[in-house]
Amino acid sequence: MGFASKSPWVIHYDASSCNGCDIEVLAALCPGYDVERFGIINTGNPKHADIFLVTGSVNEQNKPVLQEIYNQMLEPKVVVACGCCACTGGVFHDCYNVIGGVDQAIPVDVYAPGCAVRPEAIIDAVVEGLGVLEQKAAALKENQKKGA
Amino acid sequence: MDANFLITTIIGTVCFAVLAPVIGCLIDGIDRIVSARMQGRVGPKLLQPYWDVRKLLGKDKVAVSGSEDTYIGLALFFAILAGGIFFSGGNLLLVVFVITLSSLFFIVAAYSTRSPYAEVGAARETLQVMSYEPMVLFMAVAFYQVVGTFDTSGVFLLRHPAICTAWGAFIGLCFVLTIKLRKSPFDISSSHHAHQEIVKGITTEMSGPTLAKVEIMHWCETVLFMGWVGVFFVFSHPISILVAVLVALVIYLFEIWVDNNFARVKWQAMLKWAWIVALVAGGLNVAVLAFI
Amino acid sequence: MELVGFLILFPLLSAIALYFIKGNGARKAIVLGSAAVIAFATLVLCIGNVSTPPVFYDFESTIVEVACMVIGVVIGAIVLWFAWKYKNVLAGVLGAVQLVASVVFDLVFAHSVHVAQGLYIDSLSVMMAFIIGIIGSGICVYALGYMEDHVEEHPEQDDRRPLFFALMFLFLSAMFAIVFSNNMTWMFTGWEVTTLCSFLLIGYTRTDEAIANAFRQIIMNIAGGIGFLVALYYCAARMGTLDFNQFIQMGLSAPAVIALPVCALAFAGITKAAQMPFHSWLLGAMVAPTPTSALLHSSTMVKAGVFLLVKLAPLFAISVAPAVMVVLVGGITFTLASFMAISQSNAKRVLAYSTIANLGLIVACAGVGTPEAVWAAMFLILFHAAAKSLLFLCVGTAEHHIGSRDIEDMDLLFERMPQLARNMMVGIMIMFVAPFGMLISKWATLVSFVDNHQVALIVLLAYGSAATFMFWAKWLGKLSGVAGNPDNVEATVHKSEWGAIFTMTTLALVFCIALPWLSFAVVLPYIDGVYHQPVFSLDSDVLALMSILSLAVIIVLVAGSVGGSKKRRVGAYLAGVSVDNLERTYRNSLSQEAKASVRNMYLSDIFGEERVTPVGVVSTTIIIVGAFAAALATMTALL
Repeated sequence: MGFASKSPWVIHYDASSCNGCDIEVLAALCPGYDVERFGIINTGNPKHADIFLVTGSVNEQNKPVLQEIYNQMLEPKVVVACGCCACTGGVFHDCYNVIGGVDQAIPVDVYAPGCAVRPEAIIDAVVEGLGVLEQKAAALKENQKKGA
Repeated sequence: MDANFLITTIIGTVCFAVLAPVIGCLIDGIDRIVSARMQGRVGPKLLQPYWDVRKLLGKDKVAVSGSEDTYIGLALFFAILAGGIFFSGGNLLLVVFVITLSSLFFIVAAYSTRSPYAEVGAARETLQVMSYEPMVLFMAVAFYQVVGTFDTSGVFLLRHPAICTAWGAFIGLCFVLTIKLRKSPFDISSSHHAHQEIVKGITTEMSGPTLAKVEIMHWCETVLFMGWVGVFFVFSHPISILVAVLVALVIYLFEIWVDNNFARVKWQAMLKWAWIVALVAGGLNVAVLAFI
Repeated sequence: MELVGFLILFPLLSAIALYFIKGNGARKAIVLGSAAVIAFATLVLCIGNVSTPPVFYDFESTIVEVACMVIGVVIGAIVLWFAWKYKNVLAGVLGAVQLVASVVFDLVFAHSVHVAQGLYIDSLSVMMAFIIGIIGSGICVYALGYMEDHVEEHPEQDDRRPLFFALMFLFLSAMFAIVFSNNMTWMFTGWEVTTLCSFLLIGYTRTDEAIANAFRQIIMNIAGGIGFLVALYYCAARMGTLDFNQFIQMGLSAPAVIALPVCALAFAGITKAAQMPFHSWLLGAMVAPTPTSALLHSSTMVKAGVFLLVKLAPLFAISVAPAVMVVLVGGITFTLASFMAISQSNAKRVLAYSTIANLGLIVACAGVGTPEAVWAAMFLILFHAAAKSLLFLCVGTAEHHIGSRDIEDMDLLFERMPQLARNMMVGIMIMFVAPFGMLISKWATLVSFVDNHQVALIVLLAYGSAATFMFWAKWLGKLSGVAGNPDNVEATVHKSEWGAIFTMTTLALVFCIALPWLSFAVVLPYIDGVYHQPVFSLDSDVLALMSILSLAVIIVLVAGSVGGSKKRRVGAYLAGVSVDNLERTYRNSLSQEAKASVRNMYLSDIFGEERVTPVGVVSTTIIIVGAFAAALATMTALL
């Protein structure tokens, strides 16, 4: 295993969530679940983050924001859609302003369903994301070698 | 010119460059575990800081201004050089100036990105330097008054450790150590985890390998500052080195305790208290030492 | 000796020529030619007299005596005329007092006292000559291009460049006279000429503000001049000598006798070196065209003040009252001026406060008076002259091309004026961080303070240095910003300006790298000549390490800024959606376009002028008055 999966730093963005999933995301980061055991840190700065946790559905207003944060994260990076709304649009899917899930704006690697998503599910999804992160890290290394 | 001095400095710097990151990394690992325990958590593994840096080194390489790399490189180099001079028995005042130079390059690196958050962080870091600088100078002066030379190797000739007469300066040093280690309540330039008032302040625009260099620089700084703490306890008796290491550890644990128990203050309070403590603890100590 | 005489007289001749020849082309030729001749003669003098022991030349001349008296009368007349023209009573009264006093002195006292050795040269005057001859004439060359722009920008003012350049060269001549004269009357004449020259230069633009500031300068400096006169009277009447060297030797054997004249001379030095409470004249001098500021701050005027104090240093070591005055005034000025520099965003005012602060440090060193302190003082003078003139020239050029002297407007200067910004950054770094010269000097200062148990000075130095870091670092940061592709506005800078700026940068850097050699070849010989004892200042190996590090830092910075990073460029984080990231504009939460901009911190609630100035003025006034009272008491006790 490489180092990418040993220190996944996360950034959390609330697209248009009802705050239910946000509370659960923060719960996962709090002492109760203590994800720092796995090296997970909440950074709040896309430039430092490896894993992008998004809650809520995507609309025209927040789509560019999501894309900007995503673009500012450095490779290797993984996106986790947390909760039903982030996965598909959820109960808001046919709202006039809702475009759909997070994958309508940026590529999503792992989907964590639930309304609200349970902390266990988030941790599960992040662990799942670590595998993807490793693959991307290996690919990046390969690319850099080729470039050099 | 004395060639011995240059050679000792170079050897010291190379040794410091190899050893300090290892020790600093372990201290950082202990820091995170102890902090977690204080918050009722288990916390990460001991080697977590090492893994963080290895991961950062593997990230994509990007730059915002293009010159921040040069500045950070210089900052790291001078932090290592300062440590090398200190632990090879060199001039303490020189160490103080070189580590200040390192801070300056760190600040300029942040400024050069011209990012609003990094600039605010850099401005606050400048304030932090201004806050602790008087006390650090008093510490060096008190050291000189007690030991009779600025050379740290001079402590091995002492009959009593410097702490016996320079305890005022020592207390002052412990106070500004919190600022130098960028720990709460004085972490105003680069927010700690999860209180992201100015995103990541001075390091906002530093990413991947650049951030890794900053982390390594912090490790080196930590080791150097612990050296400053320890040097107060070393004297001609060999066992005193062990005592010094123990005291440094205790002081570091104390810093962790402070970090976990105090809320961040505004810069006004930091400047005011750092300067008052410097004057009362450091200035008085220097005055007393000058007239006895 | 011929060379010394040449250096004093040649700039004088150039000044006269420049005053009477009005053509632009001719002026250019004369300025360039004279500057080259002065610089060359200075170099010959310096190379020929490296590490020279003090040499006194037998030189007595009635012509010079008469000339000095005539010059004194002319100066008095000019001051009185301006005082009458602008209805300034105080300047008129002081001018009249000085005129009468100096005429009486020349006619009554000076005749009875003969000074056999009128001129001298030692390592300190060689160093000063280098500063005046190389840096001073460099500034004159710079002024050519600058004044051309200045005249274009201010069509409403008369083009009085002949006077301007004549005054600049007259200034150099007077400075040479001060540093080479062993006859105190001649020194005093040079002293008064510099006062008058800066009066006329500050008032050059003839705006109300310029006139007011010029008068402030002349009032304070004539007060200092009267102090000098008091010392002259005392020397002539009571000690029977006007030979400066003899005066110092007599003082060393009888400290109580010279308490009063040393106090009076120190007072003159303090006013000229713009120490509190007289610092405001140097701030006011900022209204003058930038070359004037550069000349006043780096190589002339204020340096005359500290030169006198450094000469008197051995006396301070044994005479308590003047020493306490000089040490405390210098120390307090250093700290408070550094504090006030934090609160300024006008680049020239920051430079002015930094000058006042550094002069304070030099003054304090002179007051401590030990060989180590003098070592530090001499290096402070040297590095300050080089770095400060560089900074002034850079700010002057920047002002003409970006239309502002505000540090906040120097945002992105790194890209708008790349070469200039790099020169400016070098100047700033030399002013305040290791391994460059100013910091080494400060370090030596600290060591000498500790060795002499000057606790008050240690405390003042500690806080002042912290403030120094703050105001330089934030300026440096502002310059270093890189973003966007702003227009390069550097193409129209005059060649003469570039020439002067690069000369200053090179000089300053060479000084930093050659520091160990300078210590050995220039500074130590002087101290040896004065104190006849070895100096235990900084270790030579530490100096060598610093010199190596300076070189390394310069190479890395140059290479880094030329090569640039090959990494992929990304935008800055703006906590929103960027509209134009290079311009730092983004869409905010109300979907409006906003621009992120950051201003530096000025902490004016804490370090504002209106808070700090009264503290400094009151405390230093009390100290000066107290010192004079003590000196008078000593004298009456002797009688």
